[in-house]
Amino acid sequence: MTSHVTTSIEPSGIRWQSILPIVAVLALAGLGLVSSDYIVTVLGFAFIYAIFCTGLNFFMGYTGQASFGQSAFAAIGGYGSAILCTDYGWEPLLALLATMVLSGIAAVLVGYPTLRLRGHYLAMATFALGLIVYEITIEWTALTQGYMGYSGIPPLGIAGFALDTLKHQLVALVVLSLIGVGIAARLRQSRFGRALASIAGSESAAQALGVDIARYKLIAFVIAALYASAAGSLFAHFVGFISPEIYGTTMVIQSFAMLYLGGIGTMWGPMIGAIIVSILPEALRGLKEMQDIAYTAVLIFILIFAPRGLAGLSVLFRRAHGRVQEKA
Amino acid sequence: MPSLVEFLQSIVNGVGVGLIYGLVGIGFCVIYNASGIVNFAQGVFVMLGGMVCEVLLTQLGIPLIFAVALTIPLVAVSGIVMELAIVRPMMHRGATLFAVILATLAAQIMIERITLLTFGDRPRTYHEFTTGGPLKIGDVAIGYQLFWILGCGALLVLLLWLFFTRTRTGRALRACSQNREAAQLLGIPVARMMLIAFALSAALGAIAGILVTPTQYTAYNVGTPFGVNGFIAAIIGGFGRAGGALAGGLLLGVLQALAIVALGAGFKNVAALSFLLVVLLFFPNGLFAGFGKGAKAH
Repeated sequence: MTSHVTTSIEPSGIRWQSILPIVAVLALAGLGLVSSDYIVTVLGFAFIYAIFCTGLNFFMGYTGQASFGQSAFAAIGGYGSAILCTDYGWEPLLALLATMVLSGIAAVLVGYPTLRLRGHYLAMATFALGLIVYEITIEWTALTQGYMGYSGIPPLGIAGFALDTLKHQLVALVVLSLIGVGIAARLRQSRFGRALASIAGSESAAQALGVDIARYKLIAFVIAALYASAAGSLFAHFVGFISPEIYGTTMVIQSFAMLYLGGIGTMWGPMIGAIIVSILPEALRGLKEMQDIAYTAVLIFILIFAPRGLAGLSVLFRRAHGRVQEKA
Repeated sequence: MPSLVEFLQSIVNGVGVGLIYGLVGIGFCVIYNASGIVNFAQGVFVMLGGMVCEVLLTQLGIPLIFAVALTIPLVAVSGIVMELAIVRPMMHRGATLFAVILATLAAQIMIERITLLTFGDRPRTYHEFTTGGPLKIGDVAIGYQLFWILGCGALLVLLLWLFFTRTRTGRALRACSQNREAAQLLGIPVARMMLIAFALSAALGAIAGILVTPTQYTAYNVGTPFGVNGFIAAIIGGFGRAGGALAGGLLLGVLQALAIVALGAGFKNVAALSFLLVVLLFFPNGLFAGFGKGAKAH
């Protein structure tokens, strides 16, 4: 199986290419802060999804595995935060961290048997996982209030200090998503990240090099679950309301559209994809009803014609740039 | 503790829906054997079968037999379109396995949403093929539709067996499943075979949808449970032979019916999905790693 992972290791030292996306993100966030609440909401969703996709990218892009059920962990995060905060009066930030721990444990328990699977079976098993949690959120009404959903979830905050306005929350989401990308980038360049890349390249070769494949896959899966859980919690706090559909199959497809559009296996791809896919339907107003159809159409188009996404363009650019440098 | 009647009744119900899972499972196998792809959009054919038939039958008032005769080719065309528009270009470009799976899943959601926008979200159903009934044996009620499902299921397996062993096209499809390059070298038009596989698979799904709708209901979102359960049936049955998938479907249907008695109707899909995870846990490569070789050899 071929992988999308570029095995080249980024040279150390800060280059303008690595600063540029941060500047762009901050500029976009700044633009959002002077706009209407509606645009702030759209951008907020974009950055929540950016966190979700960065985690998914860790497992799919870097490690070359597949999980079609990450929405399960977002649901654990979202419902965990909702229940802990509204019914038990927990601090939102504490609830977010507690549900992340819960999702991590769930990921270990589920991942240990599941990740031994390959190909279609891995895909179907993880897909089943997402569906199981989805069905539970609908049917276990005593816990989740079923289709009614949970409302009145407090905004993010700690120790009486709450982010009351949408704009404050947007700032927090931008900071958190940048931290998320930063952690993922650091992990990617570590010994651990290189081991994951070797698994993506060839499992048997990685094994021959002494990489404990099962363990590394599991850790990557858990990291992806932690990101998904955090994104789920943040969604609950940002919107103040959750229902089963939010963490359904649409979330899976939407996040894949973002991941593949931005460029799977790249550092900034997930965030770029999340921002573009979130803004696109808002830009094309008439699309509202057709949103899901547009997502799936975009996803299928990219999968067929540009499986490397927009980040593939930057590789082309870098290659050209490198050639110029060689000549000079 | 469920009574004996409840127990028998749930087994009867399970047999009916299990055969449907079996038919969907066969659909998975037909495509997988011809192309090496598991089509995650398989359940959508079941949904389309039920929906299109309902529209023709109830909305347009076409007699049942003509409605069925129209529905099956219409849904088969959707399978052909899926192959031509999505699977073929991806295979040509050497897309990864997960990318193809994802594309078929995206296709499923796209078709579901188009159906939702076209026909609305109202659940639909139509009368059983033979009115009257149910047949009472003691306190156990057996709807007449179950006999239709049983009869058509048996007939389809027989026809498929004849198709795969007696016709040139069927044999060519089997050749593709054994070794696509060798089949190509022997002059078998492999690309056309894949098209036939998708059409056949979609037709099977449509028949399953037409048969099952009178016993429950159909709506734009019924595809996923049928698809996943059909996949489970295919795994149990060994992903190779039609009879195996049908038997796997029966087993799953009965298990699910018992789970409904034990846990309540809401958790029937959770039970089936958990069962899938357990099966995969003990057979990490699927059951067909063990039985598949035998299935391919015959």
